[in-house]
Amino acid sequence: MENKHITIFHGPQHPGITGNMSVELDLIGETIQKATTHVGYLHRGFEKLIERRTVIQAFTIVCRICVPEPDPNEANFAMAVEELAGLEVTPRAQYIRVMVLELSRLAAQFLWMAGQSGSIGLYAVGQWAIADRDLILDLFEELTGARVYHMYIYPGGVRRDLPEGFLERVSTLLTYMKKRLKVYDDIFINNASFKSRAIGVGVISKEEAVANGYVGQVLRGCGIEADVRKDAPYLVYNELEFEVPTQTAGDVYARALVRRDEMDQSIHILEQVVAKMPEGEVMIKMPTHRKFKLPKDDTWVKVESARGEFAYYMAGDGSEKIRRMQVRGPSLVHAFTLLEDLLVGAELSDVALIMNSLGICPPEIER
Amino acid sequence: METMMFKQIKSHFATDDVEVKRNDLYKVGVRHERLFELIHMLRDEYDYKTLNAITCTDWIEEGHFALTYMLTTEDRKHTFMIQTMINREDAHIKSFSHEFKQAEIMERDLHEMYGIDFQGNKNLKELSLENWVHTPPLRREFDTLEFVNNNLTFREGRDDNIDTKVESKRLRALKKAEKEAAKKAKEAAAAETVKDEEVKDGK
Repeated sequence: MENKHITIFHGPQHPGITGNMSVELDLIGETIQKATTHVGYLHRGFEKLIERRTVIQAFTIVCRICVPEPDPNEANFAMAVEELAGLEVTPRAQYIRVMVLELSRLAAQFLWMAGQSGSIGLYAVGQWAIADRDLILDLFEELTGARVYHMYIYPGGVRRDLPEGFLERVSTLLTYMKKRLKVYDDIFINNASFKSRAIGVGVISKEEAVANGYVGQVLRGCGIEADVRKDAPYLVYNELEFEVPTQTAGDVYARALVRRDEMDQSIHILEQVVAKMPEGEVMIKMPTHRKFKLPKDDTWVKVESARGEFAYYMAGDGSEKIRRMQVRGPSLVHAFTLLEDLLVGAELSDVALIMNSLGICPPEIER
Repeated sequence: METMMFKQIKSHFATDDVEVKRNDLYKVGVRHERLFELIHMLRDEYDYKTLNAITCTDWIEEGHFALTYMLTTEDRKHTFMIQTMINREDAHIKSFSHEFKQAEIMERDLHEMYGIDFQGNKNLKELSLENWVHTPPLRREFDTLEFVNNNLTFREGRDDNIDTKVESKRLRALKKAEKEAAKKAKEAAAAETVKDEEVKDGK
């Protein structure tokens, strides 16, 4: 039959795309024969900008590298600078950082829930999840003055101490979240329509996941207990108890279950942080930022973001400016190597579903 | 295990450039001709199975690019940074894309930003820079401001558009004049009062 091949663009103007990117799909009927990822819609040249700024000026940029989850960027940046400059952060600042990172992970998982449910038409879940995420953003606003881009995890500690009664408000929110997550189990995770769409779709094998450098829920959904917080603990994660949830099926549903269990673990970590929060200073004495120089050395730091391992390479050259900072988020490999492979043979209606389950965030590819 | 690995690297690759950066992070410098050999050794004998990233730093003063390959063990507890220098004027190196699938996109990214030719990578087409014919933008000699001034035009704006520099200068002058006028008026009023008082006193 002539003209049986159709080529269409999924995105960048599409509600089912996870940000400003597009996937070019070659179809026969509804089945995908070839998928090609395209980016280039929002390159902001951050890595170039950072090379021309002082360390502290560069700090204001990094949180903008990933929109749904800015805090791992701040943590990575601060940790890399501190390691190169030989600075040590106070225990209270480390606990506050863990608190911010876990709240941010919880907020990002709510956002994922909104996207994942929206990709199969369960819009009520999305509306609720966004509303619940806003409660976390309220806390961020009180703590840092900003809802999304916090600029709070500053090299040398955190920018300000906790407001009075803040930990009690975190505890109240956690109690609410614990009750609330059961509702999401009923309307989303255990929902028959989600299960029928997600089980057996977008299956990734364990061997492929390890060999190709996939991270986060993609690995954990294949049964691999990969988590930077356990494998190479940073901050005070080795003082906290938590589990790394895994599943074995490797499909969209397995990744959803892993994310859902991770939300419980984040709440568990936050409860411990609230109970154990030490007293003391939150910021060490830092040199004047114009005179703050990094030695000629390089390092590689990583944290576990809500979507998997998130790493920074940073090199100093003895001047006030950072010589090179390269971001390695989960998205570059997931959006190209993995997505282009996984979509072959899939149905057109599953593209948004699969893409959402991989945690792809285009701003982090085009940093 | 680590001691044995470092010993083997030092003796096989004639380098003393092995560094323990953290308890989970090691670094070694190696000549680019022997990069493949070292990565194969680490992968086959010491379990560094996953290529996590390839990064590039431009050392323009020294005339080279520093390429760093991050390899992680299968249990993800250790990372090895393997650094090699390549000449930045004729930047090329063999591709790893046939051994690590993820290397294809990482090399494509660096090819676009630095103009490095990864020989053997079949997919070095444009990534985010459409029809780019200028210097690859992350090379140090690429001047962002100069590029903008030479290649982009600023929008003129609306008809009633005001040059903010000229306008703020005008407003400053206006404010200064007002201030001076007020000062003069105040002085004149004070002089007037003195005069009145003198008249009143009958001087």
